Amino acid sequence: MSAGLDLTLSGQAAAIAAGELDPAELLEEALARIEQRNPALNAIVETFPERSREMLASAPAGPLHGVPVVIKDEWPLPWRAQRFGAAEMLAPSAPGESGPFLALRDAGATIVGVGNMHELGSGSTGNVSFYGPAHNPWDLARCPGGSSSGPAAAVSARLVGGAVGADGVGSIRYPAAYCGLTGLKPTFGRSAMAGHHMAAVSTTIVSGPLCADAADARLLASALFREPLEAGDASGLRIGIVRGDVTDDVAPAVRDACEVAINELVKETGGELVEVELEGLDPAALATILLANTEGLAGISPSRLNSLDPELSPLGRGLLKYRMLLPAAATVKAQEVRTLMRRRLAAALEQVDVIAWPTVPAPAPPLDSPLVELPSGTTTADRANVRGGALANLTGAPAISVPVGLAEDLPVALQLQGGWGRDALLLDAAQALERANGRRWVQALPPLAREGEPTEA
Amino acid sequence: MEAQDRDEFIAAGLASYGIEADEIELAVIGAAHALFWPSILELLELDAEGAQPERDPDLAHAPAAE
Repeated sequence: MSAGLDLTLSGQAAAIAAGELDPAELLEEALARIEQRNPALNAIVETFPERSREMLASAPAGPLHGVPVVIKDEWPLPWRAQRFGAAEMLAPSAPGESGPFLALRDAGATIVGVGNMHELGSGSTGNVSFYGPAHNPWDLARCPGGSSSGPAAAVSARLVGGAVGADGVGSIRYPAAYCGLTGLKPTFGRSAMAGHHMAAVSTTIVSGPLCADAADARLLASALFREPLEAGDASGLRIGIVRGDVTDDVAPAVRDACEVAINELVKETGGELVEVELEGLDPAALATILLANTEGLAGISPSRLNSLDPELSPLGRGLLKYRMLLPAAATVKAQEVRTLMRRRLAAALEQVDVIAWPTVPAPAPPLDSPLVELPSGTTTADRANVRGGALANLTGAPAISVPVGLAEDLPVALQLQGGWGRDALLLDAAQALERANGRRWVQALPPLAREGEPTEA
Repeated sequence: MEAQDRDEFIAAGLASYGIEADEIELAVIGAAHALFWPSILELLELDAEGAQPERDPDLAHAPAAE
């Protein structure tokens, strides 16, 4: 069997364009690899080989021509309604041509499967799903991250070269961090969102790419943005660091790896390190949760909550009902905090180009007990992760998670947050970091994927 | 909020909507409330430096000047 899938996403696209790789063979290779590796992962919840072959047969000569990709169970496809990882959604769901589907189709990509996700998008671990949890390819007993659990696990295990996730409160960046991938949360409103059941009400959710490296994320994001994100060199990059829990209340191995990466990035770009003030990250995290949960109330009523599908998890049922008890005054206050944090972030970004801190404070926790050990004590992964992940969703600014090391054979990641509309700069910075560390971490493979090594085209 | 007050708040809140909850759901709600409520109270008292919510904030761009 050919090793097309062991090329990067960009490598696959380039090889197909050069006539060196047959996209029909690549699709069959992807389907076979899903059949082979997915039973251990539960990353892909549905394939539709005939639909995929039809999509390939009519694919235009776009930048992703013939490249197989996975899409999260959060958008409808013309032949399949989304389930949102749940026994039932509280919003209407029907097959359709969603924005990400159209963007992928028009770029020439082939959707080869639907990725698992945390139930109702409401967790950073991926350990709760209607389909059963997805597993982390680095350690099958560990969480893959959520809510885009399946897309991340699929790319990490090299079932495909790229996947489309969604990020409402860190849901692309957490699984990217846990699975050793590059994940971009775009500037709000910049990537395809049409057809999402919350598109009309959400002020936090965006679609975005999960890929092995920054070049792949650039390629897939360009399709989702419907505009090319041109590469730059990130020279003279001014990197902001923030003192506080987000950098200090972090597992020592994570803190060390991120410090090394930041110093490498400074050296590679000829840039500088600047300490910046950014107070209020804890209330910002709570404000983001409140806004996301309140926006998720659309379509909820007491009678609806009394007739929930019994197959919805007890956790999901309880949290849906708890939303009704959240005080309206706190939601208004959350809007004030949003304004405050947008101003503070804008002020910080007048001094620097990006702000760096660990994407998540500890590596992937066990699936059966998603707790993490921090200097401050043991806490839930959800509570620990939201501290550093929520600001980008609250403010609308872009952020990227990049792999920067391994701790006890589990990936460790650095988050870079940039100014509104500066998504391309984040990708430039991520690529500079790859150059600095010799692409060591983006090429690191989990045990499940070590049959072949990924190569550049 | 003491545990008894918390349980009464949850029970009364759900009852006022006519929302039913089984024992497991009540345990989840109780745990969520214990986790979030102290932070919500802190948030309500937070000095937001007079920041009024932006009208139709353009989240694709930096905030307008104050």
